[in-house]
Amino acid sequence: MSGSNVWSRSREKFRLFPELFAQCSPEAATYGKCVSASTTGRQELKKDMCAKEFQALKTCFTNAAKRKAK
Amino acid sequence: MSTGVCLRLLQTAGSPSAASCHRWSLISGCRGMSSAGRGSMNVFNREMKRRQKNWAASLQEGNQYDYLRDEIGCRVADRVYDIARTFPLALDIGGGKSHIAEHLNKEFVERLFLTDISEKALKQRRQTEIPTHHVLADEEFLPFKENTFDLVLSSLSLHWINDLPGALRQIHQVLKPDGVFIGAMVGGETLFELRCSLQLGETEREGGFSPHVSPYTAVTDLGNLLGQAGFTMLTVDIDEVQIHYPGIIEVMTDLQGMGESNCAWNRRSMLNRDSILAAAAIYKEMYGSEDGSVPATFEILYMIGWKPHESQAKPAKRGSANVSFADLSKISQPSNTTKS
Repeated sequence: MSGSNVWSRSREKFRLFPELFAQCSPEAATYGKCVSASTTGRQELKKDMCAKEFQALKTCFTNAAKRKAK
Repeated sequence: MSTGVCLRLLQTAGSPSAASCHRWSLISGCRGMSSAGRGSMNVFNREMKRRQKNWAASLQEGNQYDYLRDEIGCRVADRVYDIARTFPLALDIGGGKSHIAEHLNKEFVERLFLTDISEKALKQRRQTEIPTHHVLADEEFLPFKENTFDLVLSSLSLHWINDLPGALRQIHQVLKPDGVFIGAMVGGETLFELRCSLQLGETEREGGFSPHVSPYTAVTDLGNLLGQAGFTMLTVDIDEVQIHYPGIIEVMTDLQGMGESNCAWNRRSMLNRDSILAAAAIYKEMYGSEDGSVPATFEILYMIGWKPHESQAKPAKRGSANVSFADLSKISQPSNTTKS
């Protein structure tokens, strides 16, 4: 496949991921701690168990993406 | 947003070493078990694997992803050197760009046949002083006569084979008696960090998870598989290679660049961007090191097996001993007269 297609555009977008992710280390660490805490506790990991922390991470990530796009 | 990279997990009934994953064992089949006559295992889409390898071989900067294959190729070549023999005819199965032969020389291997399913990888093969013929062939359907080769090599390609017992039997067939098979394959707990991070991320974000990393052969099964294929004088050992990456995306990109993307039939064709973000955070938190990098573990299983021949040493017959262990204490010491 040559030229611009959905795969090459997705890959281009993904190249930015590490840079944007690096700007959100505290939120990522909080979310990561929440998930790993649930794995050692008595309860099984369920959907949206760490939804609040994930929203914080996602907001930080999308803001970083907007700043980059400017 | 789909990455186009799909690494799938099939968690076997045995639990992985990461304690946090043992509760979510999705029992969906075991891989590479030692039962004979299990012939029609179809886990991987070989046509897809050929396309992925061709894609990886035609990348502009494809050589930057070859570090793992180069290193393992070097270690397999070491094992060839350990055997004090010259091999007139050798076969490298799934050899790709010929990572083993570039470390071998003409005194040890006189002629080499290099096979792979990807023609683009064969076209990019490395230079070696050994005269080489390259053949486009699938590891599961070797186009060679019985008793042809003195040495069969395989480095990091057996983990994509559907019928591993069958492939090992074919390798046994094409070997001459007193021929040797030296192989290296990824197995055991390879990429457990990636597998667990994706699993936890998907569970928390989507409520369930799907396989992302291939099922691997356990080292305990390898001995059985080789024995059932007819090999004797087996040697199996494990090497753990840990490579540090900046993050989960680099792990996946490098795996894709190596031609190691998932091609299992049961893979999901997309990975949610939320799940990727979640998995990235989990990977970093659970497995990351102080300098911010994350490790990816590759457990390499090395195996050496011989095709039987009369000249090989056999266990002695029972009752044929003519010295006794009790005689050990009577072994004379030059200047020591005390008896223990």
